[in-house]
Amino acid sequence: MSGDYKFNTLGLHAGHTPDARFGSRAVPIHQTTSYVFQDTEHAAALFNMEVGGHIYSRISNPTVAVLEQRLAALEGGIGCVATSSGMAALFLTVLGLCSAGDHIVSSSQMYGANINLFEHTLSRYGISTTFVKPNDLAGFKDAIKPNTKMVFGEVIGNPGMDIMNVPEVGKITAAAGVPLVIDATFNTPWLFKPLEYGANIVIHSLTKWIGGHGIALGGAVIDGGNFDWGQNDRFPTLTEPHFGFQGVNLWEEFGPAAFITRVRTEGMYNIGPCLSPTNAFHLIQGLETLGLRMERHMANTVKMLDFLANHEGISWVKHPNLPDHPDHAIAKQLMPKGAGSIIACGIKGGRDAGRAFIENVQVASHLANVGDAKTLVIHPGSTTHSHITPDAMKAAGLTDDLVRISVGLEDFEDLADDFNAALRIAGKVAGAAK
Amino acid sequence: MKVMVRGQETFISTGGRAFDASGNVLLFLHGSGQSHLSFMLQGRFFANRGWQVLTPNMPAHGLSEGAALTSIEDMADWVAELLDVLNVASANVIGHSQGGLIGLELARRHSGKVKGLSQVATALAIPVNDALLGMAENKEVAAIAAMTDWGHGRDGHRHDHTMPGQDHMNYGKQLMAANETGALFADLTACANYAGGADAAAAVTCPCQVILAQKDKMTPVKFGLKMAQALKVSDPVIIAGAGHMLPSERPVEVNKALRQFFEVN
Repeated sequence: MSGDYKFNTLGLHAGHTPDARFGSRAVPIHQTTSYVFQDTEHAAALFNMEVGGHIYSRISNPTVAVLEQRLAALEGGIGCVATSSGMAALFLTVLGLCSAGDHIVSSSQMYGANINLFEHTLSRYGISTTFVKPNDLAGFKDAIKPNTKMVFGEVIGNPGMDIMNVPEVGKITAAAGVPLVIDATFNTPWLFKPLEYGANIVIHSLTKWIGGHGIALGGAVIDGGNFDWGQNDRFPTLTEPHFGFQGVNLWEEFGPAAFITRVRTEGMYNIGPCLSPTNAFHLIQGLETLGLRMERHMANTVKMLDFLANHEGISWVKHPNLPDHPDHAIAKQLMPKGAGSIIACGIKGGRDAGRAFIENVQVASHLANVGDAKTLVIHPGSTTHSHITPDAMKAAGLTDDLVRISVGLEDFEDLADDFNAALRIAGKVAGAAK
Repeated sequence: MKVMVRGQETFISTGGRAFDASGNVLLFLHGSGQSHLSFMLQGRFFANRGWQVLTPNMPAHGLSEGAALTSIEDMADWVAELLDVLNVASANVIGHSQGGLIGLELARRHSGKVKGLSQVATALAIPVNDALLGMAENKEVAAIAAMTDWGHGRDGHRHDHTMPGQDHMNYGKQLMAANETGALFADLTACANYAGGADAAAAVTCPCQVILAQKDKMTPVKFGLKMAQALKVSDPVIIAGAGHMLPSERPVEVNKALRQFFEVN
């Protein structure tokens, strides 16, 4: 073996060696809450983190550990903690770095629950957030304060698909001595690996492209191990005596693994949003084909963009691959294989036509998820934002004709037929409204 | 803990436990471009079992200040000075790779300070090819990547770690990258220039142990076995399938072998 294995090989093999007793080729599901100690010394050694192993599945589990190690390998991280959801991954990241009185700088264009966590939940516990547009480099620089403990953003913003210039923001955060935390859910490591471009921590919702099957929720925190937590006294959660392990200083004791050790030893011990072993198994099955699926996602996305751009029932199309997207240049630079498989488009005829389209697709599924192997569609104007006026939607960066498409893996001809039929009906609704 | 050695702040990991110089001291010496973290799973294991653990960062490595030392002999003298600063009369010395060369030289030059010598994945000499030296001098990131690759065996390349969720290869790269620029080149140069291994081994009088990695690409087993012969170790431990970084790749086997040795020495 020379060098590290490549993407698809890591996706299939990283983190798992078939066991000597049974030789199971697939990763076994260790559906157990707890593990029998060899003796009292072994038990004490596990609790002291003197040896590797498992104590209780809230803290770690053999099946979950394979998923964690595989994700760390794919992202280029030094360690990973898998969680019950992507939101849990974000919360445990904040918990590992921030305390009351601390501050976060975050992209303003991202998943609503992320914004709600920062704006409404963390603020109740004394952690404040300054929101900055993801491509406002000066804004990020200006927003960092002495008590800022992390800068956060999504590579591909949800739902607007704004692209964060991770390398440039990374230069700003490195100069300021603040870690850059990146949600890489929409790009996956197949399109872009943030740790290679200045990010220090990556989080994922595994529920989306990494699982790909829509059968298991999960999240992950991946530590790049590339941040100097001891450069000053800004990060006491990592450089002052830890309440466990005889008061050790995690930075001195575990070095590059200080942060991820804190996530496991505080986040999992004291909060406990653990991933179930069965969900880990399902997510591993997805991860094993991530490279192949992403190729197909991106190929279908290219076809879909062409289809929509030339369809008379579509008034506009938004995707970072398109030259008229404001972040097209940076998207092309960071993600030459394509900027993800989410497309936003406008259905001619507004809210009613959008509703008609959504209700008449047969192959695509109308639901609130993204990244599934199956094509998914949602129309915020008639679902999540149905109670909001067109003006209020516009202020939120949405329009009442907007349909979000998560392009799946179907034979594209079937998707085209399906969309043609649904758009024909939407067109009639639009015509009747006139 | 931190102490001053030769006027520079020196970091020493004590395995997460307070250090008592009057106890049974284990002194772990790290390899080229490494730090105390490459012995993390040994330090914590033995410190929690009553041994007094010292794993210093050599100057310019990890959390230690100062310029990197440039010869194995000087490194051995520096370690002896460190033991004096800490009021440690003698210790069981465990050397990994370059640390093994330092251990040999420490046992020759300061024999009274070495109660026992455990040589882990090392040899009497560690020649370094010019290509690696050149990379270490001019393209340190590439040298780190190459050494991390060569240094790991099957478990490392499969990213299969005994500590849940951790990654050998990427951790190894970050550990090495955290040292001062130039420290790796100084280490490798010191290894390449060191020719005193055979004489030092002949002069060693303390009990010795040799632990080798079967798949070691950096200090191959055959050279480790020659060292074992020179140290009159008749029962070297060879850990099947392990790579050069066996303290982190195979901590259970390494700790078991070390413990058996320490319990009788």
